[in-house]
Amino acid sequence: MTFTQRTSANHKLDKNLIYQFQKQLPELVPPLIALVSFLVVWQIFSWTPGATLPGPIKVVQDTWILILYPFYDRGGIDKGLFWQIWASLQRVAIGYSFAALVGVSLGIGIGVNKTMSKALDPLFQLLRTVPPLAWVPISLAALRQNEPAALFVIFITAIWPILINTAVGVKEIPQDYNNVAKVLQLSKQDYFFNILIPAALPYIFTGLRIAIGLAWLAIIAAEIVMSGIVGIGFFIWDAYQNNYISEIILALVYIGAVGLLLDHKC
Amino acid sequence: MSELFHQFTRRKFIFTSGASAGAVLLKGCVGNPPEPNAGNTLSRETAQPAANFSPEQAPETNAVKLGYVPIVEAAPLIIALEKGFFAKYGMTNVELSKQASWGSARDNVEIGSAGGGIDGGQWQMPMPHLITEGLITKGNQKIPMYALCQLITHGNGIAMANKHQGRGIGLQLADAKSIFSKLKASPTPFTAAQTFPAVNQDFWIRYWLAAGGIDPDVDVKLLTVPSAQTVANMKTGTMDAFSTGDPWPFRIVKDKIGFMAALTAEIWKNHPEEYLAMRADWVDQHPKATKALLKGIMEAQQWCDNFDNRQEMANILAQRAYFNVPVDVLIPPFMGKYDMGEGRQIDDRSMAALYWKDEKGSVSYPYKSHDLWFITESVRWGFLPKDYIVNNATKARALIDKVNREDIWKEAAKEAGIATSDIPTKTSRGIEEFFDGTKFDPENPEAYLKSLQIKKVSV
Repeated sequence: MTFTQRTSANHKLDKNLIYQFQKQLPELVPPLIALVSFLVVWQIFSWTPGATLPGPIKVVQDTWILILYPFYDRGGIDKGLFWQIWASLQRVAIGYSFAALVGVSLGIGIGVNKTMSKALDPLFQLLRTVPPLAWVPISLAALRQNEPAALFVIFITAIWPILINTAVGVKEIPQDYNNVAKVLQLSKQDYFFNILIPAALPYIFTGLRIAIGLAWLAIIAAEIVMSGIVGIGFFIWDAYQNNYISEIILALVYIGAVGLLLDHKC
Repeated sequence: MSELFHQFTRRKFIFTSGASAGAVLLKGCVGNPPEPNAGNTLSRETAQPAANFSPEQAPETNAVKLGYVPIVEAAPLIIALEKGFFAKYGMTNVELSKQASWGSARDNVEIGSAGGGIDGGQWQMPMPHLITEGLITKGNQKIPMYALCQLITHGNGIAMANKHQGRGIGLQLADAKSIFSKLKASPTPFTAAQTFPAVNQDFWIRYWLAAGGIDPDVDVKLLTVPSAQTVANMKTGTMDAFSTGDPWPFRIVKDKIGFMAALTAEIWKNHPEEYLAMRADWVDQHPKATKALLKGIMEAQQWCDNFDNRQEMANILAQRAYFNVPVDVLIPPFMGKYDMGEGRQIDDRSMAALYWKDEKGSVSYPYKSHDLWFITESVRWGFLPKDYIVNNATKARALIDKVNREDIWKEAAKEAGIATSDIPTKTSRGIEEFFDGTKFDPENPEAYLKSLQIKKVSV
């Protein structure tokens, strides 16, 4: 009795799973094909004589231990990739949160005030092109503290798209909305919460989404500042110092995967 | 029914096998990987029994943060920590921090450990002097530092890219001069790299080139490039030479990227190499802890110099937390076995990296005469103004007296019970001789500068 019950239950579960899988299949097939063909092409290129870039098979062979044991911990900076990513994620989270907070509030201020926008725009356009590594000595000289300097590098790299997008979003509020606000004689508070924020929100979120990628990009520069710490950025730097290309590629896959996840969650 | 049963078992099989595979995977994922050097005890549990030091020798603090760069020069620091020599003298909380580059080490010592940086560590020379003078710090801020001991001698060399094989480039450059002059006229001049400007590795390649009649400022392009980038460029042929430290020379030869033109042990045997130096404010606040550190390092240096310990030393240094290299690239240089490429082999333990004693006596003791050579060489290439050297180097000597704290070294050595014959009595090692016959007399550095053909300074 129990036997038949269980099988039928299993049957249901099976059917459900297969159904789910079939439903997902069209979604999964194209990226899978793209991924496999990318790996094949990469492998073929790495077989050409004189190639110095390891192919995917070699990468997996070289980094097998790191792939198999993401959670290992031998103390010091000798930790598995999960811990490296985790430590870096925390740094990114702090730097990014500050960037979001400051970027949105400053962006609104600039968007509302035309003179300020005119005055500050060239400065922002200039600063936003500075690569993260160039911020390292500047932030160190300015802050004279190790960790704040590293977080500042993430902050300053991530803030520009948030700031600029928010400012544009506020500036681009349709004139009709403003007119309606005037006709209804909305209070400043009402205008802010019911017109400005909803109208600028899509821009703000675009900025926030771009910034997450940038914050992640700054992690290597930030962790070079700190030196000798657990983190994926210093892991990459260390592998680079030793010319361990396979380890760098593996770390890039991890970073990419985390970036993908962060992007999907947003 | 039978069909159903069949299905069930199959499913069960898939399930159980899946589960066990998952369990294996989980076990793998969660635990630590098997030790690559199984059989060797790498844990710090093999600590030394605490030394019986009198209460007046007890350190003021047991915590310090030291920076290091993962090359063989750092070995005494790592060994002192891992073999428990720091703890033996009461420094139970020493933190070693791997530095991303020499620039980061400089940045971190400017900050100090209170701001998340370091209190001191391993330095190329004369970085402690340059930082003391505020010449390489941000805003030219003067941060006094003390050089406390020499960490190592030898262990460096000059690597050449493969394309120069068979052209007579070696320790002597007399036959190869035409290569340099030909390249100088071409759009791609001879390009060489070091890891930080105006310090050891820069000086070694400059000395070697100049001794061969090649002006490093005019005839070649000398750049500061991270090691890995240099090696990658040597592979592609855009970099001709690299002044570097072990284990790179071995790796360059083994990976058939290039060959070794000269070892620093050939250019200047028993030469001063990198030093332990710390922020002066830390040392002044913690004089006993400084001596405790020194005692630990001295004992580590003696341990390192026992060639029977070098396999274990290589195992410790090779770990991912430290150098992150395969053990077998460290062993040959540690044993004085250098495959120089071009069929040249060196097998001479007196040319290996040495930490405590060399043919000339103490390696660890920081001779003031060596500091003076580094300052003189800085003046030679125009990194420091001439006034450091004129008047029999009055200014240089004043700076050295401020930075070089051989007195602390001596006190620590006495407390550690080092044999008096191993404690130098003079601050000068006397006249030094280089491979080309040039002599450096610490009593008269100006004469040394005058004797040199190629230099930037006019004396």
